[in-house]
Amino acid sequence: MSDSVAVVEAQALVLKTLPDFSLSSQRCATQLQQQVDLILLAIEALEVGAAEKMLESAATLGLQNLIPNSLILWRLRCTNPWRRSYNRTTLTLDQAKALVAIAHHQAKPLMVQIRQLLVAEQQMRAKQLPVSTNFALSSYLDQFRSHFSSRMNPRRAKVSVLLASETALDDFALGLLNQLLFCTGTIGMQRFWISLFDGEVA
Amino acid sequence: MNNIQRPYRLPNCTLILEGMGDGSDPQSPNPDLNIILNARCQFVGINQNLEGGRAFLEALAKAVSSYAQQCLSGIHHPTATKGESGEWAELTPVPDQALHRLTWHPPTDESQHPITVELTTVQLFDLVEAVDQFIADRHTLPDFSVTLQPLSRRYRQPDEPFVQRAVPATLGAISLAVLAAALYVMPIPDVRKPEPKPQSSPALVDPTQNNSAPANNPVPAKTP
Repeated sequence: MSDSVAVVEAQALVLKTLPDFSLSSQRCATQLQQQVDLILLAIEALEVGAAEKMLESAATLGLQNLIPNSLILWRLRCTNPWRRSYNRTTLTLDQAKALVAIAHHQAKPLMVQIRQLLVAEQQMRAKQLPVSTNFALSSYLDQFRSHFSSRMNPRRAKVSVLLASETALDDFALGLLNQLLFCTGTIGMQRFWISLFDGEVA
Repeated sequence: MNNIQRPYRLPNCTLILEGMGDGSDPQSPNPDLNIILNARCQFVGINQNLEGGRAFLEALAKAVSSYAQQCLSGIHHPTATKGESGEWAELTPVPDQALHRLTWHPPTDESQHPITVELTTVQLFDLVEAVDQFIADRHTLPDFSVTLQPLSRRYRQPDEPFVQRAVPATLGAISLAVLAAALYVMPIPDVRKPEPKPQSSPALVDPTQNNSAPANNPVPAKTP
């Protein structure tokens, strides 16, 4: 009994650190769902087995009530309209916060790796070499491409544009890596959460 | 009151704050730093240091914080307003190079030129982290904070670019102009007044005066 009370309190704590905003606009909701899922996809491309760890992260953060099993987690991630298995539902504010908290929790230990990849990107660009010729970068980019092409719906205009050009998808994956770096900071979770509502509030 | 130095060290960036406490708790091992005398920002691999007083630190913290949000959301945040003495810090992306240009405009009364440094994303992140750690530190400038707020809808780039939105209106204006030109060339038709045709007006019959007319309701003949 006391354990469950402690879990509920912990859950409230994580969710309370993020401010509440209105998710009423359909445009805002779909953009947010898309962005959160893509950030989680970038984490999966960085770390093997990250998808399985997400459930453990949810438990650590006290979010079992919101995300009790991997099926629910998968259904929450399928609110991304780019997905093949898009389920046309909308995340609640707490569910969105939970996914953002998981992204921050998983990204934080990857900070060194993300930094190394971004330094490598900078060096390749300074030498005017293609980014995919760097071993560490190409491993991330290949993994991202593989996840992206297997899960995203090519009938979506933007997905088809990204899938058509290798450079465009590489740049897109590196853009997500840049965002992920800012998620790992001291208040990275708050920064990421608030950035999702940029240009959407009155 | 002793001088307090508080460094925030990150791999690529060090933010060193020097100042004094207000002396309210002299026995504390970690006294509050309330008065900033000097703030210095150093980057690894960049010789140029950024330095200034409290105005510099506040301007830097605000600019860095809002630029970090811009990096995350991709929506341009408006540039910070100038301080009381005309000082301000500004961060702008360097196109095509994945670099970020940090410019510090010192107060106008000090005869100094603006200082510019170009940062990589990792250096920028370290600066953001140093600023965030300093703001989160309750023992350093407890009265100073930067509030994170999402941008208003007014600053959002429209989903369709202006050129694309202007196409229907332009097409309409052009077709109206073409039609007007075509009609201008056409001759104006002669206006002819309708001539009244000589025509006999139908005779009016007054049924009350016309006794000779057969009765509408003939009287039934008497039968023997």
